Amino acid sequence: MLAIKELYAGYGMVQVLHGISIEVPQGKVVTLIGSNGAGKTTTMRAVSGMIKPSAGRIVLAGRDITGKPSHKIAKAGLAHSPEGRRVFPTLSVTDNLRLGAYPRLTLGRPRGDVDGDLDKVFDLFPRLRERRDQLAGTLSGGEQQMLAMGRAIMLNPEVLLLDEPSMGLAPLLVEEVFRIIRALKERGVTMLLVEQFAAAALNVADYGYVLENGSIRCHGPAEKLKNDPAVRAAYLGQAH
Amino acid sequence: MDVLSQLLGSGVAVGMIYAVIAFGYQLTFATSRTLNFGQGEALMLGALVGLSLVGHMNYWLMLPIVMLFGAVQGAVVERVAVRPAIKSKSEFGWIMATIALGIIFKNVAENIWGHDQLPFPSPVSQTPFTVLGVHMVPMQVMVIGGALLMMLAVELFNRRSIYGKAFVATASDLDAAGLMGINTNLVITFSYALSSMTAAFAGVLVAPITLAGAEMGAVLGLKAFAVAIIGGLNSGVGVIVGGLILGIAETTTAYYISTGYKDVPGLVLLLLVLAVKPAGLFGKTVIKKV
Repeated sequence: MLAIKELYAGYGMVQVLHGISIEVPQGKVVTLIGSNGAGKTTTMRAVSGMIKPSAGRIVLAGRDITGKPSHKIAKAGLAHSPEGRRVFPTLSVTDNLRLGAYPRLTLGRPRGDVDGDLDKVFDLFPRLRERRDQLAGTLSGGEQQMLAMGRAIMLNPEVLLLDEPSMGLAPLLVEEVFRIIRALKERGVTMLLVEQFAAAALNVADYGYVLENGSIRCHGPAEKLKNDPAVRAAYLGQAH
Repeated sequence: MDVLSQLLGSGVAVGMIYAVIAFGYQLTFATSRTLNFGQGEALMLGALVGLSLVGHMNYWLMLPIVMLFGAVQGAVVERVAVRPAIKSKSEFGWIMATIALGIIFKNVAENIWGHDQLPFPSPVSQTPFTVLGVHMVPMQVMVIGGALLMMLAVELFNRRSIYGKAFVATASDLDAAGLMGINTNLVITFSYALSSMTAAFAGVLVAPITLAGAEMGAVLGLKAFAVAIIGGLNSGVGVIVGGLILGIAETTTAYYISTGYKDVPGLVLLLLVLAVKPAGLFGKTVIKKV
């Protein structure tokens, strides 16, 4: 569904990614793990068009999206829930969610049932339904994370990118985030997940890639990576 | 008392013109953190194009045509002067580029309409009337109403329509708005079109009071900029209050002290605000998170 081939990207003169290749098959959850500064977020940004890759190819559902502006990539069916949530603080919860469905608009008319999807998102995140008319800026960190995920789901994406959905959240909320990811997986949503909690990410994912200094060090089925001694030592240390 | 009430009336009218131009500055600042320093010239062009049209057609038909002209003019300014600077990540390129375009517009206007201040027909009667003890000219009421209506219309658009919300989203987080499928470049162009449209509209409103001419924009544009700074570049209420303060300060100073000093109180206030509360009286200080 999503194929990243020999991708090079960075910021200005600083090259962060050195030719990485990742496959995200339809209906699967693929996780990208690695330490801080390995290039996980840079990968996500290059895929969704927030930064322009310097070389390589990104193909989404058979369409080449390499170097396209992010609004076109969103229209092609890629949703990105970015690191740091990035909800629109001065808009209400409902407005944030409706903007998530903005790529489905052509000349003011939406494709599919946006109101119905809004209801489904509220079913998934009851907390957001309670706060539907509240400004997003007044939500707690956990609620903002739910909103960022809900907003991305509103696109009905071909592929959903989740960048550090558990960052800065209390343990109980982290569990909640993974419960949601599991629920989405059951619905058949194709996902690329970047997580600091590598163990939890490998538990929910089908397949994993380990990123080190901008290169893929190893990859394999999540079950296998979980039991790989080198991966355990480097990334699953705190997972007991 | 009679004199004071009249001064207040005309001060409010002038102030609302400043407010609506300042509002235009805010629109482009919100989406792109850039300003059109040719905003005064957009106003001047609106007034002069309106003057040329109004001889051939009904006043109320002329208004929407002038506004459309203003929108196109603003879009041109963005494409020619602002977009290249944003693209090349030039921090200040847009300042010189918008000033340069403004000067070009002024020269063109001088060649088409000449150097004289031309009278602009008033669509309403010239006879003053009294409301609540304040003597006002109908045109002043129209200026106040028109300015408020214009700002209200934009505000309603932003709050009610999905495209308005896309505008707000772009203003609050450009990258995240792009992820929502919003063409943020188009939104920035649109904000310039809207801003110049507002200015052109203000030009037509103010011309019957001030006369129309190639020179009319420079001072109005600068004072409105002061109002935007006094009120805060991100506060809608701020520009109205700032405009009223400046307008009333001008008319009262001109009468009680001397017309020669009429600009002083407002500019002193500008300096005070910059020293004490740089984000403006109503501005929210944005703390940059790293």
